[in-house]
Amino acid sequence: MSESREETFRRLYADHFDAVLGFALRRTDRPEDAADVTADTFLVAWRRLAHVPGGVETRPWLYGVARRVLANHRRGDHRRSALGDRLRKELAAAVPDCSDEVVQRADVTVAMHRLSARDQEVLELHLWEGLEPREIAEVLGLTTVVVRPRLSRARARLRELLGNDPEPPGHLPSRHPQLTRKEQP
Amino acid sequence: MNAKLTDDAVAGLPLSLGRAELLEEIMSTPVLDDRPIRSREPRRRTRWLVPAAAAVVVAALALGTARWAGDDPAPAADRSAPVMSMPAVANGYVVLDAPGWTMVARHADEGRGEMSYENGDQYLELMWGLPEDYDGYVEDRRHIVRPAADGAPIQILGLGAQMWAYSPDDHTAIREVDAGQWIEFRGEGMDEAGYLALLGQLRAVDEAEFDAMLPEEFVTGAERNDTVDTILDEIDAASDGPLLPEGVDRASITSDQVDDYQLGSEISGQVACAWLGEYAAAEEAGDQGRMDAAAAALNSSHDWPVLHRMDDRGYFPEVLWMYAQQVADAGTLPEDYQNGLGC
Repeated sequence: MSESREETFRRLYADHFDAVLGFALRRTDRPEDAADVTADTFLVAWRRLAHVPGGVETRPWLYGVARRVLANHRRGDHRRSALGDRLRKELAAAVPDCSDEVVQRADVTVAMHRLSARDQEVLELHLWEGLEPREIAEVLGLTTVVVRPRLSRARARLRELLGNDPEPPGHLPSRHPQLTRKEQP
Repeated sequence: MNAKLTDDAVAGLPLSLGRAELLEEIMSTPVLDDRPIRSREPRRRTRWLVPAAAAVVVAALALGTARWAGDDPAPAADRSAPVMSMPAVANGYVVLDAPGWTMVARHADEGRGEMSYENGDQYLELMWGLPEDYDGYVEDRRHIVRPAADGAPIQILGLGAQMWAYSPDDHTAIREVDAGQWIEFRGEGMDEAGYLALLGQLRAVDEAEFDAMLPEEFVTGAERNDTVDTILDEIDAASDGPLLPEGVDRASITSDQVDDYQLGSEISGQVACAWLGEYAAAEEAGDQGRMDAAAAALNSSHDWPVLHRMDDRGYFPEVLWMYAQQVADAGTLPEDYQNGLGC
């Protein structure tokens, strides 16, 4: 028997909540904003569940939605989400106390701010979310052919600014087993 | 600024109540319309979501070099046929006549295509498609804004278009169907005025002028035969055996792509396809000698210069090498290799 809509969404939510909230927290100033972005992202997923791709494509799809939600927030189209009030409060209390396990060193953050917005975004998806070029392409709606050299150039610029390579992706952004694509049959 | 926590750190935050409550809140909202619509992504990116597609095929599809699962492969004759003269705008023959801007990528195939221009940190991507996809794309773009709405009416290349903003420096516009195709223009790194000004500097040209305006690293019509010959000669030199299996004519290996990456993938892909087909035929005939020869030819792909030149731009070489390796190591034909390589 096929999974019901509710079951499908519960599983999606359980599998990706931390990643979507982490994505939002890393790109917003206040925990409450991250809660709003998370709520709106999953609301879109709920309403458009039929369009959510499965398997390894789910998370880049969710990041793509979260990115669009964030863009709406940043350009001032910010309204307080009607959902997630308790999450907002819990986050506001919990996040300021949590300074461990950050995705990158402070000097890398400073150096990244000196890059263009486009370079920053590609690098963030690579370094913070541990995405590969083809997954970044999926999030940004670009082709891998475009993303790969862009990422390469952005890394080179960051390296110039830092004098060395930033931490390699993978071990810092934490677990995202769904994103570990099998390259071998 | 929030601390840039890892996902593990996020998982450890005491949010269980808020997390559970949000889930129930979301699921209690009505679902007004969940009819499947077309993805906002170009078709190739949609197709690589097909669950049956192997990850390796997915990688190749993402490059736009492979044909789509379920599509009828175009007969070889189509590839060698001269490009017909088509309405300029509809064929993606659009140039950006603006200082500092240069074309960096282009892929066109059977009525669909995309092309990218860059200028420092600014970026313009054109994507064109067939009329049947137009409504789906427009509907999706309407959801860029909330509530969903039509885009601002503008004119691009003399025809109506709708424009939306992803952010103050990221805009997209879809031009109405014209001569059998619509075009989307995505501009990043410029404000709305800059975006509109840039669109005003687009110019529709015919195929000859488009060809003449290609940047140095692209392959013009006049260079195409020599470029293809060079690629094939290099492959031939890297292999101990013949370039192609018996019965496959060298002249049948062609490509109309102008982007050297895309052209390289089509040419090397056709050679690999020929040898994979030969391996399959030999296997069916129980001819071990022919199977060994085909495996050796495929294995020589590790030394094909064109693939090494392409390797830093995409995954096509890795996919091809992986197929070759599977034949050499396991003695089995890769599943669905035709889709992966565009055979």
